Amino acid sequence: MSLRARLVLLALWLAALATLGVGVIARLHVGTDLRSFMPPPATADQKLLMDAIGEGPGSRLLLISLSGAPPERLAALSRGLAAALRRDAHFAQVGNGAFDADLLDNKLLPYRYLLSPTLDAQPLDAAYLRDQLEQRLDDLGSPAAALLKPLLPRDPTLETLKLAERWAPPKSPELRDGVWFSPQGEALLVAQTRASGFDPAAQGVAQDALRRAFAALPDAAAATLALSGPGYFTVIVNASTRAEADRIGRVTTLGFLLMLLAAYRSFAVLGITALPLASGALAGLAALVLGFGEVHGITLAFGFTLLGVAQEYPIRVLSHRRAGATALASVRDLWPLLLTAIASACIAYLAFYASGVTGLKQLAVFTIVGLLVAGLATRYLLPRVLPARFRDAADMPGLGALWRWLRALPRPRWLPALLAIAAAATIALAPGPFWQNDLAALTPVPQPLLARDAALRGALGAPDVRYLLVLQAADADGVLALSERLAPQLDALVARRALDGVELPSRYLPGVATQRARQAKLPDRATLEAALAEAQVELPFRPDLFAPFVADVEAARTLPPLTPAAFARTPLGARLDAMLVPRDGRWLGLATLIGVRDAAALRAWTATTGGAARLLDLKAASESLVAAYRARILRALAVAAVLLVLTVTLALRGARRAWHVLAPMTLATFLVLAVLRGAGVPLSLFHLVALILAAGLGLHYALFFERDTGDAAEQRRTLHATLVCVASAVLVFGMLAWSSLPVLRAIGLTVALGVGFHFCLSILMAPHARQD
Amino acid sequence: MASLARPAPARTAFAEVRFLGMLERPLVLTGELAWLGGDHLRRSVATPYREQSDIADGTLRVQRGQRPPREVSLARAPELKGLLLSFQALLSGDAAALADAFEVRADGDAARWTLHLVPRDAALRRRVTAITVDGAEREPRCMRLDEADGDRSVTLFGAAAEPLPTPHATRAELDARCRGTAAR
Repeated sequence: MSLRARLVLLALWLAALATLGVGVIARLHVGTDLRSFMPPPATADQKLLMDAIGEGPGSRLLLISLSGAPPERLAALSRGLAAALRRDAHFAQVGNGAFDADLLDNKLLPYRYLLSPTLDAQPLDAAYLRDQLEQRLDDLGSPAAALLKPLLPRDPTLETLKLAERWAPPKSPELRDGVWFSPQGEALLVAQTRASGFDPAAQGVAQDALRRAFAALPDAAAATLALSGPGYFTVIVNASTRAEADRIGRVTTLGFLLMLLAAYRSFAVLGITALPLASGALAGLAALVLGFGEVHGITLAFGFTLLGVAQEYPIRVLSHRRAGATALASVRDLWPLLLTAIASACIAYLAFYASGVTGLKQLAVFTIVGLLVAGLATRYLLPRVLPARFRDAADMPGLGALWRWLRALPRPRWLPALLAIAAAATIALAPGPFWQNDLAALTPVPQPLLARDAALRGALGAPDVRYLLVLQAADADGVLALSERLAPQLDALVARRALDGVELPSRYLPGVATQRARQAKLPDRATLEAALAEAQVELPFRPDLFAPFVADVEAARTLPPLTPAAFARTPLGARLDAMLVPRDGRWLGLATLIGVRDAAALRAWTATTGGAARLLDLKAASESLVAAYRARILRALAVAAVLLVLTVTLALRGARRAWHVLAPMTLATFLVLAVLRGAGVPLSLFHLVALILAAGLGLHYALFFERDTGDAAEQRRTLHATLVCVASAVLVFGMLAWSSLPVLRAIGLTVALGVGFHFCLSILMAPHARQD
Repeated sequence: MASLARPAPARTAFAEVRFLGMLERPLVLTGELAWLGGDHLRRSVATPYREQSDIADGTLRVQRGQRPPREVSLARAPELKGLLLSFQALLSGDAAALADAFEVRADGDAARWTLHLVPRDAALRRRVTAITVDGAEREPRCMRLDEADGDRSVTLFGAAAEPLPTPHATRAELDARCRGTAAR
């Protein structure tokens, strides 16, 4: 091809990539909610878990502490911050301990007689009213008079205060200057975000809004704002993982480029070899945009890692170019092998598609499309744009000597068998758990932060993030009635210190039957007026003072019972709403538990309710979910392995040749497993992904070493290409292996180890070396 | 005013008359006020019922008989805060604290003086329009607190509380007693 034609093709290629890139970026919507990386829930508990993860009231709670200034300043800041956050659409609810008397608006105020338990034990008769009025008179002489004065004419029995007390958090911190304070003198607040607790992007936006609101307060600079809670951890873990991955990525990219430069001695070649990978990545993204709408951030991170395999294709083309032959000719020679490698990798990644998890399906689509496009670009475009001048890799100084040395290495036939036995023994006998079921262990939150979270949670009486009490009934009112029925039993458990507190839906709204029963106890106007007159005898209250009270009681007698829908308009409506969930034609009540000490006692109690109440252990449910998830992936991988064997056998036209390729690959994979097991590393999903990536790379090495060319120069080229590939993979993943974050270390260590083993075994077990 | 200063604890008997719009006749209470140092003020009512109120750390705690105590945050009640500030400043003799919280105007001479206090804080001023303190020599005799809704409470200290006011007392009678122009 002429230089001109080459440049035109190159320009067209770049233009096509640019167009695709612009189109993809315009439509690409990156999601960050971790739940799309979780498997579809199977059991009822798992379904609830998926709702509770991120959406549960506990996980959306941010715990806020203000410190570093005198208490009165902190209290003022707490009030200012709470007011600002109540106006902020990112937050559903804010609490700082400040009393909110306006929990029921004027229109709902008569409902207090239906909501408050007073009437259950006490009729509104003359004796009760007399006692109440005498107390109110004494109240008027106390320093609290100013506070009670506005309530008195309408509410002489102070039902609004009783409701406010009932609705206050079950266990709250000490009040100083009217707001919550910790024993260490920090002002405490809780804010419930609208965003799910495990969506780092949405959480980040909400937390930024919170910090801005705080910074805008007068004197904010004098105090320190600190956050805690699941949402906060999601954000910092996400940020530190990304920062570390980026830092490592910068170093390795530089090293990778330098190495390619050293291997091929040409900037132009370096630039051009990036094109197949770029084409594959963009095509993969385009497929995701077309197929899914929203692409998960983890899909992208993993996808680009897995797609790294495709960088081998141009490296092979470059290293295998022979003097005197065009690039096109050498690609044609390599193509059957490359195609086998591409097809095998695609089959392995199909296993992810079969997992049924949205995030993994995306990953499969991205990598398969990416690998195919990168391969086709390497086959049909790359050779046509490569410069005519090149250095034959076979002439690289030292390569011949290295090849001869490698070939002369002893290759005892018993070595692979011994390795296989040793690996099998290690895998089977190593102590410690085989699988890591706790996903959180991979992205650990620093210990001091966890300790602070526990302290804040204890001080604030914030709900337990692990346990949830699930009530079940035919409809929402049934849940409320059930909740009322169970409340005394739970109170008994609290008294026995099995837990610190419980927040039941009936705390906010009793069922219709209870409301009607209370309604039936309300006296009619004449009776109430007579009782009130009798109660007021010789007390100095003005005779008509309590007319608003009489009017409210009269109104309450005929009110339709308050439903959750009507209650939703009150400031506490969102709270109740989050606790009542319709599910499969029935209704669930989610009661949050506080400070669970004795889960066994709670579970034993739920067994006595005949299935009406269940204790949901979110940790156990999530672990069972992870285990089920892994079983699915393993099954899919087993099918993929069978397909892989068939593909390689067909492509190489013989079981014997296929054995020479698959044996070193399989043995190397087991060696990696053995090393991880021997080192006491429980395996996670990330290890599995990394093992598959390493196996894909290993398959390439084995395929190329297995190739019998009978040409010493070609063997040197194979060695050159493989060395470049191995060195780059070890560089990239070896750096990740040094990471302090378990998730990055899992991937880096597994792939780096794998690549090393695959390379050594491919060489040691290559059939021709032994025959020579 | 500096002459008011005295070491904690300062205790003084009081009689309080409350004129409230809700009631047909005023409430009369007697008892003891004590400043226990810091911002801790204790108001013990002896008649017509027993009650102890503690104001400290921004919280009011009222305990009456055997009933469970009621706690109220001062942030909820600006007039409580005003009351606390003025009582505290008076009992501790802290003129600077008084001037911080109120616009202070003084009348009279050392033998018989009157302080007119208007809250500086706007939220407090919406509920408490004025506080007037009358005194003689180094002793405050009387404190009148006017609320925006027309209610008034008059607290007589020490000797000024004798003889005890009756439930038929009028505002004018008490004003005169505060100024020391009658019944002395």
